[in-house]
Amino acid sequence: MSDFDLTTIYFILSESMGGWLWGFVALALLLLAAIVAGIMTLRKNDTPARRPLVAALVAGLVTTIIFTFLVPIWTLAGAGALAAPIDVLFAVLFALVPGGVVGSAVFVIMAFASNRRVAAIA
Amino acid sequence: MERRQFLVGAAALASVGLGTEAAQAQTSDSRARVVIAGAGAAGLALASRLRRSMPNATITIIDAKKEHHFQPGFTLVGAGIWSPAQVTEQNVDYIPRGVEWVEAAVAEFDPDANGVVTTTGQRIDYDFLLVATGLNLNYEAIEGMDVSLIGRDGIASIYAGPEQANASATAIDRFIEAGGVGLFGRPAGEMKCAGAPLKITFITDDKARSRGRRGAVELVYNAHNPAVFSVAPVNDKVTEMFAGRDIAVNYSYVLKAIDPGAKQATYATESGDITLDYDFIHVVPPMRAPNAVLASPLPWQDGALAADGWIEADKATLRHPRYPNVFAVGDIAGVPRGKTAASVKWQVPVVVDNLVAETAGRSPQAVYNGYTSCPMVTGIGKAMLIEFDYDGNLIPSFPFIDPLKELWVSWLIEEKGLLGAYRAMLRGRA
Repeated sequence: MSDFDLTTIYFILSESMGGWLWGFVALALLLLAAIVAGIMTLRKNDTPARRPLVAALVAGLVTTIIFTFLVPIWTLAGAGALAAPIDVLFAVLFALVPGGVVGSAVFVIMAFASNRRVAAIA
Repeated sequence: MERRQFLVGAAALASVGLGTEAAQAQTSDSRARVVIAGAGAAGLALASRLRRSMPNATITIIDAKKEHHFQPGFTLVGAGIWSPAQVTEQNVDYIPRGVEWVEAAVAEFDPDANGVVTTTGQRIDYDFLLVATGLNLNYEAIEGMDVSLIGRDGIASIYAGPEQANASATAIDRFIEAGGVGLFGRPAGEMKCAGAPLKITFITDDKARSRGRRGAVELVYNAHNPAVFSVAPVNDKVTEMFAGRDIAVNYSYVLKAIDPGAKQATYATESGDITLDYDFIHVVPPMRAPNAVLASPLPWQDGALAADGWIEADKATLRHPRYPNVFAVGDIAGVPRGKTAASVKWQVPVVVDNLVAETAGRSPQAVYNGYTSCPMVTGIGKAMLIEFDYDGNLIPSFPFIDPLKELWVSWLIEEKGLLGAYRAMLRGRA
């Protein structure tokens, strides 16, 4: 694997995904900014982060599990193509992408929802 | 997977994330005239790397072809899961800026006078010549066979091009539906992607099984010598898998004639010619150097690689021993193994690094170890990621992938990873 450095991986991803690569980068940055804003909102309102965090983890976990079985179909293989632990590991790694997106979205939505609840009480 | 193997794999993955380029590419200020014959995988990758490494050199690439084909994808087109459009690109999109593209073929190599002549009559002189013409598919060497027959009368061949691979997929589907005897095999001489004839055999078996038609088809693989693959552990594994999947094997059978009307194929064997009836046949043509190379002084003059015109080259540096300013890269190189895109990926940096070193007054150090890779598709959704060197040693790039185990992760690399890596290679970035 000596030839696999970050530059090479970037070019392979860029050639594989084309413009989608930057779309995913933009989505990741957007979610990151939204998470930071959500955390700041929770702190500002002195609201515990436990509920949005648990909800995000549950939603992310469920999404990851579902997508783990969908990833082989994305590669034109059958859903039962995962034959070995290494197959499952890689399917989970890929499924973590939608899992992370859903988990992040749930966290942000619940954080801002708590903000609205605080505002309504006030 | 053993715990230790898992940990090694995890460490390797981590190193990918943390690693940085070990050494910056060297450059040369030389104003040398470099001519690249051929704009296939090797030609384009050479042009891209040289343009960056030798910014003052005059680099000319010669090829009449406008379309560029991702040939490793032909198997997936032949399997009926990729379209021809997915393996078809345009050369113009990959010719680096600052490289002159002469849209003609090389008609004559004149290494004694350091020049080439194109089919349009243009003479181009060089200081260094990199021959990357690829090879010719010699369907005509099989009596009765012609490219136009592919897709008709049960004849398939995924090698001839994307459309022929697509027609082959249809022929496979018709065969599975109708049932009968299917013949597979490979030519006796050097060939590109020697795993492809095995892959298409496995794919046909897998498709027949998934449609509940395996009992209706009889599959026979005709090996050209006493083995189905030249690397011993791979040969053992594939032989075992063929036996397990009820795929019969005939050894030392070489296809010499075909009668499409009678659906009969004649093989040269150790006990004389034998004719077999078929309902389906996957034809892999004999392969040889293009005419311009064959007619030049560049090929081996004797030995096993001489007859088909492969260019004489030192197997470690790919440099021509009689013409030191000539290098052969890719399919045309007369070296053992090495006729895959994966080989090109490792050959190109060796040639470029040595050329740059030489023109910069340094001693060339880079060495090619014969690396070749064959993602052996054994069914839709599973493959074995087989990598080996000149000596037939298995040299896996990923320590967490067992090269002799059918895995989805190997299929993932084949189906989702290789095209991007190939394109990055064409741009000199992988």
